[in-house]
Amino acid sequence: MSITVLGVNHRTAPLEVRERFAHTAGEVPQSLARVLAAGARGGVLLSTCNRTEFYLAEPEDAVPEAVWTLLSERLGVGRSASEYGYIQRDRDAVRHLYRVSAGLDSMILGEPQIQGQVRDAWDVSKAQAGPVLHRLFQSALLVGARVRSETGLATGAASAPSAAVAVAGKIFTQLAGRSALILGAGDIAELAATCLVSEGVRVTLVANRTYERAKAIAEELGARALTLDEAWDHFGDCDIVLSSTAAPHAVVTWDRVAPAIGRRGGRPLCILDLAVPRDVEPAVAQLENVFLYDLDDLQAVAAHAAAERRDDIPAAERIVTEEVERFWGWYGGLAVVPVLREFRERLEAVRAAELERTLRRLPHLSAEDRAQIEYFSQALLNKFLHQPTVALKEAARAGRGYGLLDALKRLFGLERRDGT
Amino acid sequence: MVFTTHLVALGLYALATVLVLAPFAGLRPAPRGLLLGVPIAGIVAHGLGVARLIPFMGVAPTLSLLALFLALFQVASEAAFRASAVGVFTGPLATGLIGLALLIGLVPDASPVVGRSPWSILHITISILGLAMLALAFIAAALYLLQFRALKAKRFGQVFRLFPPLERLDQLNHLSLVVGFPTVTLGVLLGFGVRYAGGVSVDAAQVVWGMLMWLVLGWAVGVRVVRHWAGRRAAFASIASFAAVLLVYLALKLTTPGTERFL
Repeated sequence: MSITVLGVNHRTAPLEVRERFAHTAGEVPQSLARVLAAGARGGVLLSTCNRTEFYLAEPEDAVPEAVWTLLSERLGVGRSASEYGYIQRDRDAVRHLYRVSAGLDSMILGEPQIQGQVRDAWDVSKAQAGPVLHRLFQSALLVGARVRSETGLATGAASAPSAAVAVAGKIFTQLAGRSALILGAGDIAELAATCLVSEGVRVTLVANRTYERAKAIAEELGARALTLDEAWDHFGDCDIVLSSTAAPHAVVTWDRVAPAIGRRGGRPLCILDLAVPRDVEPAVAQLENVFLYDLDDLQAVAAHAAAERRDDIPAAERIVTEEVERFWGWYGGLAVVPVLREFRERLEAVRAAELERTLRRLPHLSAEDRAQIEYFSQALLNKFLHQPTVALKEAARAGRGYGLLDALKRLFGLERRDGT
Repeated sequence: MVFTTHLVALGLYALATVLVLAPFAGLRPAPRGLLLGVPIAGIVAHGLGVARLIPFMGVAPTLSLLALFLALFQVASEAAFRASAVGVFTGPLATGLIGLALLIGLVPDASPVVGRSPWSILHITISILGLAMLALAFIAAALYLLQFRALKAKRFGQVFRLFPPLERLDQLNHLSLVVGFPTVTLGVLLGFGVRYAGGVSVDAAQVVWGMLMWLVLGWAVGVRVVRHWAGRRAAFASIASFAAVLLVYLALKLTTPGTERFL
């Protein structure tokens, strides 16, 4: 009886490796089936851009090798996944999942997406999870929710794209329905645009130095494509400008945009300059009701939120510890009954065999004497079993059953599965 | 009864103020239920007390009525605009005004009062409601300017995090002015009605102050609605208006000191 997690995350493997390990929802059942075939009673595969982890119930000794082999195949010849990986067992494995679900193990502390990713992993693996991992993932989601509601770990915007949303959200009453103009086609701008779109912002215009590239992105976002020179006039009508061109100097200058901004009638304009070097001339920020933020500013917002979140780590860790003990209490108790039954059956078999041998050597005994000896052996066995049974049940109630059970199994060679 | 209900309201408003200010001291923000529930409980107690102060004779009952409207606006701002930061101003103001009213003495003058007809009471109530709306416009404008400054200067501290978005503050300012102006207009008209139709003598100071409030509020609404001022300019206009009304009141009050009359 055990729970094990094997995997890699953003701390142990570079992006290039994590990308190869990432599983789509369609790939999960097949990979899990391969691992379970090596000997485990249940499995859940959690795969995000920052981690690929196999959670396994009662894995046999061959299972870790099966996991590393499966992952190594994605790395290519001559490379082993195990050098990037980690294994945690039992309480540590439970604690690990709870920390993951709470966002304590995330690259951006407390980020909320992981909660949904844990839920998705559980959904995709449900057919192969088994009862213990079902319970474990169910409780992990509750732990995540509890940490988020009882601590400040999820407050604020702790990444640059989410900081962009937070800053825009402090200018406009609501972001839904606002129009955005995207300048350039940088990855960060695309990520920030995705964050804004998820808040209901409409990307209406995409401008780029090359019209074809602008058209490709505009089609993806349902927007209209423009060249950069056509874009300046639209500073007068959009609410948010997201800039991320690859230009070596500022392209959004006072001269180009001030006339259009002057026609806004005091309506605020939020300009998010995510390019390095910056796309927007700092003087543009001097225009009335223009709010200009560059990548450093957004990172300052994110760092502020992250620093505040760090203050909540001890409280979050306390919740995790409390919930690990609660789960372990349940898990330990779950195993006591079948192991005790197995223990009793094993000793009962020994008693029956020894009784039969003894009685064979004493054929002269009367039926009454034979019954007395059988009664004696039964009573002796019950006496021997009483104290271990009581101690195990008490330990299970206190959440300490697993250690005693493990000792019992090792001492008496109880190898049979306990059905959990 | 009047004293007790005011004392209870004072305690609850003070608690509501502490709840609003707590996040600025680095403490965890209070649940929204508490941010709304505590001042509402205060308003209930306060309302019971204010009902006993009719016909609002003297400075203390008028201050108490003003405090009640400010507390009501605090709750309304949080409920409709999620602008708990309004309580940064209204909380201490309402608490302070009740405290001041208690210090001055809330018990109405026992001597019979001429001119305290229902119309007169309505005139006082509506005028004070208009004044409270002008105060709310001032508060929204002040919050706007603080948030504007934080956003322009890229200071991502407590003002940035705890104050509402600029646009919402601008809307709150706009709404208070647009609703406040007809309210003050009605208050002024009722005042004239009480004076000319009711034949009640009214001090020149009251007329001057009432007309000034109406003109100033009218100007603030005019620049917003007719000249389409918004944002920072409109915020400055609201602050200037409220400051003018307050300063003129203080100046007039200095000429006729005493707590028997509001003016």
